[in-house]
Amino acid sequence: MRILTASIASLLLAVSPAGAGGLLESIHRHVTLASTVAGNGDLNPYALIVAPVSAGRIHEGDVLIDNFNEISNLQGTGTTIVDYRPSTRSTSLIAELPRRIAGCPGGVGLSTAMVMLKSGWIIVGSTPSNDGTTRTKGPGGLLVLDPNGKLATVWSNAQINDPWGNIACIDNGTTATLFISMAGFDVPGPDVRDPKTGYPVTVRKATVLRLGLSIPAGKPPVITSQTVVASGFGQRADKDAFLVGPTGLALGSGGTLFVSDAVGNQIVAIPDAATRGDSAGTGRVVTSAGLLRRPLALTMAPNGHLLVINALNGQVVEVDPASGKQLYAQWIDADEAQSPPGNGDLFGIAMIPDGRGFYYVEDDQNTLMEAIR
Amino acid sequence: MKDNPASCVSRRRFLTSGILAAAAGVCPAHAAETTTIRTPAAAASGIEPFRGAHQAGIITPAQRHTYFAAFDLAAAGRDGLVKLLKTWTDAAARLTGGDPAADLGSDEAAPGPDSGEAMGLSPQRLTITFGFGAGMFTNPYGLASQRPEALVDLPRFNGDQLAENFTGGDLSVQACAEDPQVAFHAVRQLARLGADAARLRWVQSGFLPNTRPGETPRNLMGFKDGTNNPSTGDAAAMGKFIWVDGPEWLRGGSYLVARRIRIALEHWDKMKLGFQEQTMGRCKYSGAPIGGAKEFDEPDYDATDKDGNPVIAENAHIRLASHTNNDGAKILRRPYSYNDGANFTTERWPPWRQDMEYDAGLFFLCYQRDPRTGFIKLFEKMAKFDMMNQFVTHTGSGLFACPGGIGEGEFVGQKLFG
Repeated sequence: MRILTASIASLLLAVSPAGAGGLLESIHRHVTLASTVAGNGDLNPYALIVAPVSAGRIHEGDVLIDNFNEISNLQGTGTTIVDYRPSTRSTSLIAELPRRIAGCPGGVGLSTAMVMLKSGWIIVGSTPSNDGTTRTKGPGGLLVLDPNGKLATVWSNAQINDPWGNIACIDNGTTATLFISMAGFDVPGPDVRDPKTGYPVTVRKATVLRLGLSIPAGKPPVITSQTVVASGFGQRADKDAFLVGPTGLALGSGGTLFVSDAVGNQIVAIPDAATRGDSAGTGRVVTSAGLLRRPLALTMAPNGHLLVINALNGQVVEVDPASGKQLYAQWIDADEAQSPPGNGDLFGIAMIPDGRGFYYVEDDQNTLMEAIR
Repeated sequence: MKDNPASCVSRRRFLTSGILAAAAGVCPAHAAETTTIRTPAAAASGIEPFRGAHQAGIITPAQRHTYFAAFDLAAAGRDGLVKLLKTWTDAAARLTGGDPAADLGSDEAAPGPDSGEAMGLSPQRLTITFGFGAGMFTNPYGLASQRPEALVDLPRFNGDQLAENFTGGDLSVQACAEDPQVAFHAVRQLARLGADAARLRWVQSGFLPNTRPGETPRNLMGFKDGTNNPSTGDAAAMGKFIWVDGPEWLRGGSYLVARRIRIALEHWDKMKLGFQEQTMGRCKYSGAPIGGAKEFDEPDYDATDKDGNPVIAENAHIRLASHTNNDGAKILRRPYSYNDGANFTTERWPPWRQDMEYDAGLFFLCYQRDPRTGFIKLFEKMAKFDMMNQFVTHTGSGLFACPGGIGEGEFVGQKLFG
């Protein structure tokens, strides 16, 4: 929703001293690129990734977006992935999956967990529901698609339960390591309340799962190892947002994995995430509260700063993970149709490969946006 | 917290509000309204001619009330359809002239030829406009080969939540009058007279405010609606954008798109004035485009602020609807507001409010030479990107080909059966 146009300077809430080299201070324009609604009416854009290679019908640099809702707007029911091609400004459908897939308990509701490997395979999470709430959710799974959107295989097991947040990935071509947050363990429906808070009960069982993959030539990836590297995060049902749990994952230098803990309203660091053999629990707190308003997707900017999407307003927050300082917040969605502006509108974020800025999605209008210099 | 590049509030107000930091173009709160788009309504007792080069009710200055009905055909065959159209034409000619649907007679042992509720009322500028839907061009009537190319099936638009009981129809009858009872009376008579050949499918009533002559009426969002219409007095523009060339039965006719648009008024009413104006792209009180001073000032869609962002928002309603951003496409909007009580509903935007809400909004009616280059072209993009979409939901829809004018002794669409 582009409405407040000349606003960036005053929307930047600078906390850092001058010369910090922040990214957000260089971002001035917010441009609508495309509708993310699929031809079947699927809406509510969640995952947002940039294709690393050309493969199948996908070109390198294409933006892939999945939809969490079907046309009735029930959450956990979307089955489509759309492709936006910046060079032609055209949008096409890459995948439309069935609502029910054998081996994916609960069905298909595509979540923020999505990645495309250099080998062309797409791995996307399903956090499914039948009625749009966690009351009828299933544990879902991870769906492996070829770059033409055809389902190749499904991964589900006891450690995979509602893959939820954006995937962090180390991709070596024939092998890869994925980090995926799991936010569905024992989460009841939104009507099961904690009498102390009045909110749906918080269950501290969410994890970050590391998957080691081997990718044989011409064949779908196979899981070679599976390790819980972080655990004990809060997760809870939400009538409006479906599920609140660890959502953003981004890899920093030295093998550190950053995780947005939405329930805790903080960003934490998991040391040695690529190599550790055990769980680091909820890790070390990098930063909390301040400008954060229930952090969602994370991405690592070229300057080594984290960009953190807020759920409860339309801001992105820039964090220096080394110092833990929150540098800026910028209204990238100032839609006053929600209160505060942009509340509930944002989710995914991904850097634009040429360094001009970043892509993001807006749920109020179901659009792909870019924020650029 | 934010500064608008151009705002509609007075300078004094924004200085005191402490919200807006800079305003490049400030709209006067009450700009003089000198230009007119509507000719003054004829005296309320006036008669609008039923027969002529075009059907009445299209470029006729809008009366204050409408009653619209879509019918499904039940006539057994072509003869039955012709009989229906003759019956309706005769009755419509009488009603628009201020007469009862049929001679009243004095037979007390039979139902009256007219239900009577318009007796003693003047014609009230009653117009009755007929339209033919795609369903007429089917085999029982031998008309399948005559379906005009432009009478397409409307595509599904983004965000559509069309209800079966407000959508489609083989025939449309739109009555417009200065008195709501006269408008309803007209449709009621036709429905009764044609009951063996046409079944009521859906209806919608609508109204306009009693705006002073020459002023653009406001819709329920509180904004002037229709400022950017082509002038009905401009025959060249009407010929270019509104009237159809052919086939022969449609020459001088037009395509009607009807959309029932529910507006989340409760949600809208909570929005700041400045945000409503940015959504619309116009100043609420004056009707001027943002950055302009008066209602009929040309909007400057190229104006940008210091960061290069547009002054009239990228997704503002008037930008997306404007012919200047749609390859010159123009349609004649003839909308009415509607108000159908309240019911329990779920809004379809964050924060997904659920409550008893007004079922009220806009009964959007527009006429055009070809819906493919008119409404469909304009609305495809608007359905995806218009900021107003987070307050409005299209719940009903229809597309009808309105035949050309009805000559003396003719019935509507007669040339189709030649």
